[in-house]
Amino acid sequence: MTYLLELLSSGLAIGAVYGLIAMSFAIIYKSTGLLNFSQGEMSMIIAYVAWSISTGTDGNPFIVAIGSIGFAILFALAVERIAIRPMMGEPILSQIMVTIGLSVIFRALVTLLWDGLPHNMELAAGNALVDFGGIQVRVAQIAVVVMLFVAIAGMWTFFRYSRFGLAMRAVASDDGTAQLMGVKTGRVQMAAWAASAVMSGTAGVLFAIAFELSPSLYGLGLKAFPATILGGLDSVIGSAFGGLIIGVAENLVGGYISSSLKEIAGFVIIILILMIRPYGLFGEKRIERL
Amino acid sequence: MKLITGLTAAVLLALSAGGAAAEQGITDTEILLGDVAPFTGPPGLLGIAHNVGVKLAIAEVNAAGGIAGRQVKLVSEDDGYVTSRTIQSIRKLIGVDKVFALTAMSGTGQAMASMPIVKQAGIPAMVPIGQLPAMYEPPINNVFVVGQTYTEGMRQLALYLAKTHPGAKWGVILQDDDYGKALADGLEQAQADAEINIVFETKYARGQKDFASEMLRVKAANVDVLIAGGIISENIGIVKEAEKLSITPTIAAFWPGRVPEVLKAIGPASDGLIGVDYVTPIQSEAGQAFVELAKNYLSEEEVPRINRYTMTGYASTKVLLTAIKACETDLTWACTIEKMQSNPPVETGVMAPVRFGEDNRFSNSPVTIMRADFETLSYSPVKD
Amino acid sequence: MRSGYFKETVAEHINLTDSTLQRIWILIGLIFVVALPFYFGLYGISLITLMAISAIGAMGLNILTGWTGQISLGQTAFMVLGAYAYAISVESWGWPPIIGFALAGIVPAFASVLVGVPSLRLKGLYLAITTLASAFIVNQLVLEFDGLTNGASGIFVNRPTIFGYAFDTDAKLFYLVAFIGLLTVLACLNLRRSRIGRAFIAIRDNDNAARVMGIDLRAYKLYAFMASSFIVGISGALYGIFLSFVTIDGFPLLLAIEALAILIVGGMGSIAGAILGAIFLVGLPEITSAIFGMFGETAKQFLSTGAHEIKGLLYGLVIILFLRLQPHGLMGLWQDAKRAWTLWPLRY
Repeated sequence: MTYLLELLSSGLAIGAVYGLIAMSFAIIYKSTGLLNFSQGEMSMIIAYVAWSISTGTDGNPFIVAIGSIGFAILFALAVERIAIRPMMGEPILSQIMVTIGLSVIFRALVTLLWDGLPHNMELAAGNALVDFGGIQVRVAQIAVVVMLFVAIAGMWTFFRYSRFGLAMRAVASDDGTAQLMGVKTGRVQMAAWAASAVMSGTAGVLFAIAFELSPSLYGLGLKAFPATILGGLDSVIGSAFGGLIIGVAENLVGGYISSSLKEIAGFVIIILILMIRPYGLFGEKRIERL
Repeated sequence: MKLITGLTAAVLLALSAGGAAAEQGITDTEILLGDVAPFTGPPGLLGIAHNVGVKLAIAEVNAAGGIAGRQVKLVSEDDGYVTSRTIQSIRKLIGVDKVFALTAMSGTGQAMASMPIVKQAGIPAMVPIGQLPAMYEPPINNVFVVGQTYTEGMRQLALYLAKTHPGAKWGVILQDDDYGKALADGLEQAQADAEINIVFETKYARGQKDFASEMLRVKAANVDVLIAGGIISENIGIVKEAEKLSITPTIAAFWPGRVPEVLKAIGPASDGLIGVDYVTPIQSEAGQAFVELAKNYLSEEEVPRINRYTMTGYASTKVLLTAIKACETDLTWACTIEKMQSNPPVETGVMAPVRFGEDNRFSNSPVTIMRADFETLSYSPVKD
Repeated sequence: MRSGYFKETVAEHINLTDSTLQRIWILIGLIFVVALPFYFGLYGISLITLMAISAIGAMGLNILTGWTGQISLGQTAFMVLGAYAYAISVESWGWPPIIGFALAGIVPAFASVLVGVPSLRLKGLYLAITTLASAFIVNQLVLEFDGLTNGASGIFVNRPTIFGYAFDTDAKLFYLVAFIGLLTVLACLNLRRSRIGRAFIAIRDNDNAARVMGIDLRAYKLYAFMASSFIVGISGALYGIFLSFVTIDGFPLLLAIEALAILIVGGMGSIAGAILGAIFLVGLPEITSAIFGMFGETAKQFLSTGAHEIKGLLYGLVIILFLRLQPHGLMGLWQDAKRAWTLWPLRY
């Protein structure tokens, strides 16, 4: 029984990381119809900046948090303004290729600006172990689950109650009409990018604390991608649950079946989902079939 | 089509006519060597340290007056650990830079893929990284493998652990590639000589970071001795996860990741990790002497880069240079290869003396078992 | 004064060449390709071979992405399948290389049906997603079926002997690749001017209109995917022969990105563009080192420590800059230049 609980707990922890990044994919897709293939790389860069801040200062978690959130927002806005905005209206392939181009650049930048070595990221008590009735977890793993639920609650309130969230929903459902109604689509897009950078950055930093910081951290993006498909590409909150499901599924497969299946479990889920329910578990059923 | 055949025949003639000059890479003042390794990205951890070792061996020879009045120079190519680029680099070193010999051909898969080209060219080539039996069985005349195979290393490590932990339950986590297979073979061979009770065995896909489910199975199986068959990131993940689950099996790791950076990234949990290697640990007397030697010849940025790959690179290059030096009067590939096999064992200071033979292109160096110390971020030999 | 070229009959439009001058240029081009290995050493030949292999792969992808407008991120999956189909049939089973090449096309084409059927019925990015997933799944399958594929160890591939003729040197291998490249160009050109090829382009330009004209979208998208995978598989087999070693490590996901980048840089939808793009992108690292070499020792030093990263950086920048500034790629530049030459001194 403890074995199952332990599998579930570590599954939830890794699933929360996927969930946060999956939400970032979804929020950008929802507001701009674009799949940002550089999401994992962005989360890696933010994790590295957080690491630099923590080693450069005395490692006060508040300074690190404020510094890296600030950087994440500025970084996302810059990327959006410089690389993405001018591509609006271009064919979808061009837009996607820009994000792929960005991902190649970001990967190169990380090894160029920092280094290619794995690091042990220590931040406050992030690495410490907490005992939950016999099940040990790292503080960072609890933090990432908490952050996921904060993000879910935040997003839900935001879309439900705020004027801006309403605008975002309007843009998602029909950006032309939304523009005619006076919604500033550019601003909506900027907000989406900023929010996605903060969420995926949080996931990257907490993952780096619980595991390690290395230039292969961008792989998180690829792991989180199936979660977005599972939850529904246009469903921000659904993606969060998609992440949790994939995290738990991976650990159950690894724990009861085989490890080698664990790494591709997500991709098999993608194919199955697209066959059975292409709009995902929580997405809107407006996918056009031929 | 006839035209093409005719033309290719002409090309072939031109190539074979031009290929007679075996003394490529030798001028009146220089002897040119070539090195291919990853210098960038995470594998750079291995490649840069290796390259520093090669440079050290060359600097030592040059400081002693060079070979036959010629200074030895090194052309280094970065392949980023990508096989197609290794092949391109080797073609460039042989065809464009025209080096006299190769000091390394990157990692296991890369060296295997380069073998046909190197064999065809006939250029003397050393393999100090990622040794596999397929590289010297059957022996390739111009390819010299220095060190030990993963299989034999694993066998020795398993025998040691079986002796020190009688009746223990073993867990094995291996990578799903050549490297993992070589370790599995070694374990199997050891099982013939000692009682090894493997209660849990799994394979993971390379690049995996989250080892939670694997380690939970290790815990559930009450493993006493755990073989962590990862390279760098994976071993970090495995040991940290063991710490999290507060299980304390004896964890044994292999030489590809036996570098201080890994101990540092794992943190205090790395204390007591068992390792195995055919070069001496830096903390040993010979290791310290090597570091002192390195300080004489290397720049200040290069000295902190030293790890076990510096030693392997140094040792194999020293063996090569000794053979070239023995050919001072006849600087040819044929002579160098002949001297490589007929020279007496070469003392490198960092591993057992290296020798090859008529039909032997593998130094088969003995391994030592060592234990990690987090305080000094290093390994020291075990006393048993 | 001439105001431009006009084609007056359908036959003229469909002809592969339209003038003696053009045919002479093609002949000169072919002679140039045949002469290339004489001017290059070992390294140069391997570089142009790699360019030719990349061009074949890019032409394959062009059928799917450039003509039919469907995005694939799983180019490597089909390259891996092609390479293994060749390696297993020729090296393990000892079948003749000709059959090996045929299988290298047929196996990926069948696999593309498996991937294509669930994803091509949906509009949008779904093919990109499933192909990306299939790239990972194919690698895992190769590892799982290690009895057939030799798992992670891979399979040694010898240079082929076709009809008793051994392509055993680098120059001969280049001729083989160039010959297959020529066949690919002819196949693509003929596909392009057939009923099927025109249907592909109709789907890309406006799928609703295409359907109204009686084109079965699902079927034709699947044809495009199959044709594309067939050629990509053959490029994978050639790449395996070039590396003389087939493993999944030899086909990193970056190759899929490279293939798309080649199309963008060369000019989407153009066969000549795919070839130009391949030459440009495969040659880019060489150009970079040459430029860095001009800046003297310190720049060279920097390049030797960060070469891989700088190349990555340039790679990304080239993709983005082409998309931003020259979306029609090198072929677009060439068309502009041609138009300017014809119309000079007028601008339009």
